[in-house]
Amino acid sequence: MDGSAKLKVPGGKLVYVRIKYSDNIEDVKILGDFFMHPEEALAQIELAIAGMPARSDEDSIAARISDVARKQGVEMIGVTAQSIAQAIRMAIK
Amino acid sequence: MTDAIWRMIAIEEHSAAMNMGIDEAILEGVRDGVSTATIRFYRWKPSAVSIGRFQGILDEVNMERCKAAGVDVVRRITGGGAVYHDFEGELTYSVIAPQSVMPKGIRESYGLICGWVIAGLGMLGINAQFAPINDITVEGKKISGNAQTRRDGVLLQHGTILYSIDSSAMFSLLNVSKEKISDKAISSAHERVTSVCAVAPGTSMKALYESMYKGFCEGKSIAPGTLSNTEAIRAAELSKRYASDSWNSYR
Repeated sequence: MDGSAKLKVPGGKLVYVRIKYSDNIEDVKILGDFFMHPEEALAQIELAIAGMPARSDEDSIAARISDVARKQGVEMIGVTAQSIAQAIRMAIK
Repeated sequence: MTDAIWRMIAIEEHSAAMNMGIDEAILEGVRDGVSTATIRFYRWKPSAVSIGRFQGILDEVNMERCKAAGVDVVRRITGGGAVYHDFEGELTYSVIAPQSVMPKGIRESYGLICGWVIAGLGMLGINAQFAPINDITVEGKKISGNAQTRRDGVLLQHGTILYSIDSSAMFSLLNVSKEKISDKAISSAHERVTSVCAVAPGTSMKALYESMYKGFCEGKSIAPGTLSNTEAIRAAELSKRYASDSWNSYR
């Protein structure tokens, strides 16, 4: 199935998630006008989320994002791991 | 902030792909220790739309209208939002410097560089404020948008100063909302965005540029300069990526 969701991060930017899923998340694209550097880390975050069960809760998705962010030394501005996870949760019906 | 000698590159006009290629070529030069901290001013010829690194191109840009209008479309190396860079209506700057000469904090470094823009606007009698995260406003309306990245020990920030607003072009080229372009949408943009011409009528583009140049120079050791041959060759190479679909349409 396909899903999408838009979320305005309070005090931050817009996050737009486009997702393909069945029992598991198959593919996710995280879009928006936020800042994240190094920029290449976003692709790593998208890859790390793919394969998670589609019923994963917001906190476990956020933990996965934070894990990649920590390993890659990522700085996020106008967006957080939690808000990306929230948008992903909203995109999965 | 430690002392740095800043190379100032006077205003140039380039295509979108070349402007982005030049920024990245300087970034590489600073990374490799062969280029010094640099400030450059430029305009976009032809007019162009730039989108943020993480935006979906088709979500943000009406590609057909851009093509028909001869407007370049480019994805920036930096995050942030979609911007219409009208040749007649905007001045752009880039700051490329070793992170060691800039504040460590994101907010502090945006604040510092935006302070240079604010100083330049001040010389025109415009009272502007830094509006974190990355905007500059006059009486609550945005007059400047800015975008920063850091990689390999180098900070790159580029930003725009709105000189005059062509809101009908902006709304025609950017997918601002899913609703049809209406007068209501255009007037609401006027409520959120302003320009040098709106707040300091009679200011020429040349006067804006000269004030910005002075504002950016204040308190710095300055060496007027140009791109090195190495940078110019690398910029031309990089501009090919910025002109390619594989970069611009990757999402």
